[in-house]
Amino acid sequence: MRIHPVVLVFARLVGVARARYMVGGLLWSLFFVIPILTGLILKGLFDQISGQRAATLDATLWLCAAFVAVEMLRGLTFFLALSVWPYWWHSAETTLRTNALRSILTARGPAATRLPHSSGEAVSRFRDDVFDVVRMVDSGVDLVGAVAFGVVAFVIMSSIDPVVTLVLVVPLTIVLLLTRLMSSVIRRIHGRARRLGAAVTAYIGELFGGVLAIKTAGAEAAVLERLRTHNARRRQAAVKDRLTMDLLDTATSATVELSIGLVLLLAAPAMRRGDFTVGDLALFTSYVGWLTMLPRVIGRMLYRVPQSAVAIERMTRLMASYETADDLSRHTKLWLTEQPPPALEAIPPRSDRLQVLEVDGLTAGYDGMSGVSSQATGTSDPAGSRAAARNPDSRGRGVRNVSLRVPRGSFTIITGAVGSGKTTLVRAVLGLLPATSGVVRWNGQPIADPGTFLVPNRAAYVGQVPRLFSETLRENLLLGWPVDDEALAHALRLAALDRDLDEMPFGLDTVVGPRGVRLSGGQVQRATAARALARQPDLLVVDDLSSALDVETEELLWDRIAEASRSGHGPSTLLVVSHRRAALRRADQIVVLDRGEVVGVGSLDELLRTCPEMRRLWADESIGEAQPQPT
Amino acid sequence: MVPASHTRRTVLQCLWPGRRSAFALGIAIVAATVLPLAAPQLTRRFVDGAIGGEETRVLILIACGYLGLAISGQVARMLTAWLASRLAWDGTNRLRETLAEHALHLDMGYHGKRTPGEMIERVDGDVVALAEFVVAFLLDVVASMLLLVGVLAVVLTVDLRIGGILLAYCVLMGTFMVRAQRMAVPSATRVREKFAALFGNLEERLAGAEDIRANGAGEHVVRRFHRTAGEVYRADLAAERIGAGLFGVTTVGFAAGTAIVLGLAAWTQQTGTLTVGTAVLLFQYTQMVRTPFERMIDQLQQYQKALAAVARIGGLLGERRTLHEPDKPVPLPERGALSVRLDDVCFSYADDGEPVLLDVNLDLAPGETLGLVGRTGSGKTTIARLILRLYDPTKGSVRIGGVDLRDTDLASIRRRIGVVTQDVQLFAASVRDNLTLFRPGLAGDDRLREVLREVGLGEWLASLPRGLDTEIAPHSSGSGSPTGASGDTSGSDEPATVGVSAGEAQLLAFARAFLTDPGLVVLDEASSRLDPATELRIEAAVDRLLAGRTGVLIAHRLSSLSRVDKVAVIEEGRVVEYGSRAALAADPSSRFATLLRAAGIPQGDDSRVALGASPTKAKG
Repeated sequence: MRIHPVVLVFARLVGVARARYMVGGLLWSLFFVIPILTGLILKGLFDQISGQRAATLDATLWLCAAFVAVEMLRGLTFFLALSVWPYWWHSAETTLRTNALRSILTARGPAATRLPHSSGEAVSRFRDDVFDVVRMVDSGVDLVGAVAFGVVAFVIMSSIDPVVTLVLVVPLTIVLLLTRLMSSVIRRIHGRARRLGAAVTAYIGELFGGVLAIKTAGAEAAVLERLRTHNARRRQAAVKDRLTMDLLDTATSATVELSIGLVLLLAAPAMRRGDFTVGDLALFTSYVGWLTMLPRVIGRMLYRVPQSAVAIERMTRLMASYETADDLSRHTKLWLTEQPPPALEAIPPRSDRLQVLEVDGLTAGYDGMSGVSSQATGTSDPAGSRAAARNPDSRGRGVRNVSLRVPRGSFTIITGAVGSGKTTLVRAVLGLLPATSGVVRWNGQPIADPGTFLVPNRAAYVGQVPRLFSETLRENLLLGWPVDDEALAHALRLAALDRDLDEMPFGLDTVVGPRGVRLSGGQVQRATAARALARQPDLLVVDDLSSALDVETEELLWDRIAEASRSGHGPSTLLVVSHRRAALRRADQIVVLDRGEVVGVGSLDELLRTCPEMRRLWADESIGEAQPQPT
Repeated sequence: MVPASHTRRTVLQCLWPGRRSAFALGIAIVAATVLPLAAPQLTRRFVDGAIGGEETRVLILIACGYLGLAISGQVARMLTAWLASRLAWDGTNRLRETLAEHALHLDMGYHGKRTPGEMIERVDGDVVALAEFVVAFLLDVVASMLLLVGVLAVVLTVDLRIGGILLAYCVLMGTFMVRAQRMAVPSATRVREKFAALFGNLEERLAGAEDIRANGAGEHVVRRFHRTAGEVYRADLAAERIGAGLFGVTTVGFAAGTAIVLGLAAWTQQTGTLTVGTAVLLFQYTQMVRTPFERMIDQLQQYQKALAAVARIGGLLGERRTLHEPDKPVPLPERGALSVRLDDVCFSYADDGEPVLLDVNLDLAPGETLGLVGRTGSGKTTIARLILRLYDPTKGSVRIGGVDLRDTDLASIRRRIGVVTQDVQLFAASVRDNLTLFRPGLAGDDRLREVLREVGLGEWLASLPRGLDTEIAPHSSGSGSPTGASGDTSGSDEPATVGVSAGEAQLLAFARAFLTDPGLVVLDEASSRLDPATELRIEAAVDRLLAGRTGVLIAHRLSSLSRVDKVAVIEEGRVVEYGSRAALAADPSSRFATLLRAAGIPQGDDSRVALGASPTKAKG
């Protein structure tokens, strides 16, 4: 029989640090149960005070001291529990997160199709969904503690007055039912409030993103009017959200009061007779307050299990199609208290040097969004192409039935208009996008999974919208590749970034990326080129550099790479997306794409004679390039 | 800058709910405090009554009274929360709108330096922080304070000595808790920062997943993630320990307080001056002290955050616009094509003073079209922005239809000058809203459909699932984004949205320009080549838009210049060549002609035909 994913994940997460979970769990339960003692002491105290027992002031003071001692014990238990618990908690979270991350970054098959629209959305899964699952396992401990308290409290209370005790079950059941009933309503209302809140935020973002359009049209007033509408809807939802949450809280607190009232009502005759002492009243009042915790904890657990099922499902969707909750929760080595060792100790040995790369009948991303980025605008996000890749049926321009042959030592250029599918083509070849049909061969052998095969040091890729991370430049270039600074310097020179480096405040130790020193688009692109070159690949794949590099710098870069390749210190083979004349003139072979199909292959001269699309692209060079360079 | 007191007043004005609402809220808060304070009095009477042999009927009556009081206290608390959140939302919505309006009217110089993300933080993030604080302040600080004072007052009347001790004890605990909170804050902040770093890193890595995969660096990044997770763990453990220690000490402290009061009560009772019921009452009141303390101290941190938010809000409100409108504006001519005249125009941005334009002189008769040619950064775009009065020249004047732009009003400029930018700014809203920019009165649906047909989007419109009501997908910025309906597979109940390709976005921008029937059109053409079919549609739309209007065209491709009457070559902020296109093309020594040669375009007397290789040029 197949184990339910929630049960499986629950058991696995308990096991990530089993001893800690058990010890911590015991301490938490103790923390929950200790108020039993407090109640008993209070009973003793008030019986003393009311003279129900032979009272001496001494005994009373001892009881007061015991009261403090018990609270001290409770504080100590809490402290100890919190010294043990974080290790378990972080182990559980890290296990889920690294398993999903490892799958996204290393598992077979393209990762692009699995990630949601925006990386923000993906992060929220890593944050909130993981939190939800771990909290579910965590509440297991609360449940044990609350039940233990409940059982003991009921035994003690029924030994004092079984009737009153039995009646108290009623309000507790009401709280449980209320929690159950309201939880779905609360979730719905809360979800709505969050959605409408996000709508306001998104609208404000758009409003200021499109401020030029708004200003030039003079539409300020209309746009503000719309903001007012969004605001009003959000307010309505937010107030309602707050109200329902308060409603549940109030209901719970009111139940406590109701229970105390009930105890007073029922115990009144017995108290008059002296069967029910003031101490008993104190004990009941104190236990009732804690007892309402029981239905809340049970209700929460009942709600968190299905919530976790959804969270597990969503996390699993981030992983490869052949992976399940089993892979998500698999125990993995953790390094919470020490530094993890490097992933790669030495450069992997090369075996099958590239002789020829062949693409045969490749069809991919026939949906249009993938062809996008030919003109990187800085704002265009790979998320866009990811989103589209999920809908291969929608209309648009991918690539269809493309075949090409890239022999060792050649410079091949793929060119075409915006949306002709250049980027889609190279991404599909590299396995970054799923291909619907076709095959890619390395030295004649079909590649089963290009995404994990065409990596350094066989191939390296410089993307359209290159990314640097908020780390030092060295870390950004190496990404764990074990080469020394000398090799890095060589790569930097090839990428024509050496002079820029001299101007950086801390050289290779300069922190770059979104939270570091801002590099220009061209510098980012050359840095990613250096990252690829440092890996000394056989095949270097470069997507359009023209968006960020001026003509001269691009020339310099090609010159240096060509020179290094001749002397055996650079990539032997180049596959490049470009529409620049300077690059086109260098090419041994040009592949012209038009709306996803190859409309010409050959040298520039041949194509200018035979291919009208090539002539069109060539003739209408942009002014910026045609302009004579200022001196 | 405007004085801080002024901006603070603006903030307060937005937040003030009005006298009646404030009064209702005050009543609710008082009720929520007094009702729970009264309940223990009934417990006392009950206990004393039960011991003293009061009739069962009376006892039951007291119990019922307790019930009623306790529950109405809870209801009052809920009512207060509801009122407070309503008023806070009203107030902060007003503030949000005020801020948005203020920011929207600031000049492009301000917006150019800020990302939409920053603006979201200013207009929404800070306001939300403030809203949360306002609600919490009313409920936690004011109500808790009242409750605390109430408890102390009641206990003081019951027994002066015990009350005095409770008061001293409260002062002691309060001081300790404030200190303790200060101790816990740095470590808690550190944990938050570590978590933020963890997820920030993660977001970057996920966004760069392809770079990582293509570089075979997956396992390395996973190891780095382990390292960061370890840092978070260590920071969290330290913070949890401090927090737990403080919690423990606080718990013991309050227990000690309770014990002291109980001990005193027992002692007093033995001497005969205190009833058992009063002892119970004192116990209950002592128990009521802890929660308000905790709530108030929690708010200390929120208070700091809210203060910072108010300061930033004040900063935004303090920004002033630099374009001033005259008291008696001269409107631009209401009909027909507009002339354009730039006289000795110089311009530099306020922040660096580096000259961007130097002594620019241009002159266009109504109906003429001008092509601006130059490398990126030469100043073409700045000229366009001056014509749109997004900035004022630092020297010289810009006259449109004979009127200096500084003498007219912005509304008139926006009505009479149309613009199509290279990066088309689309909104995640319906096609209708995208065309009218949220102005329902601007044009009826029939007119919208007609305009869409006119720019060549008729078929596109027909293909949309809900016509003009179809929502355009967010992020289809149009600056290269693609076509493709993105029916969200996650199965949400949102309406189906459509993506918009770069070409379609351009055409939508043309449609926008058509709607207002401007007398002057500023057109920044797309720099990248689109597929031939889309290019044809765009060229047709350009021709239609320029027909009968004055046009200023920022050209990125030489072929586009075939339609202009005049050409200005801009280099480093100066007009280095200016004249009729035909004359410049015919003069072999001109830069324009050199440019044409460099691009391999044949020229001569017949340049118009040679340039106009595109089939739409039939009108010749």
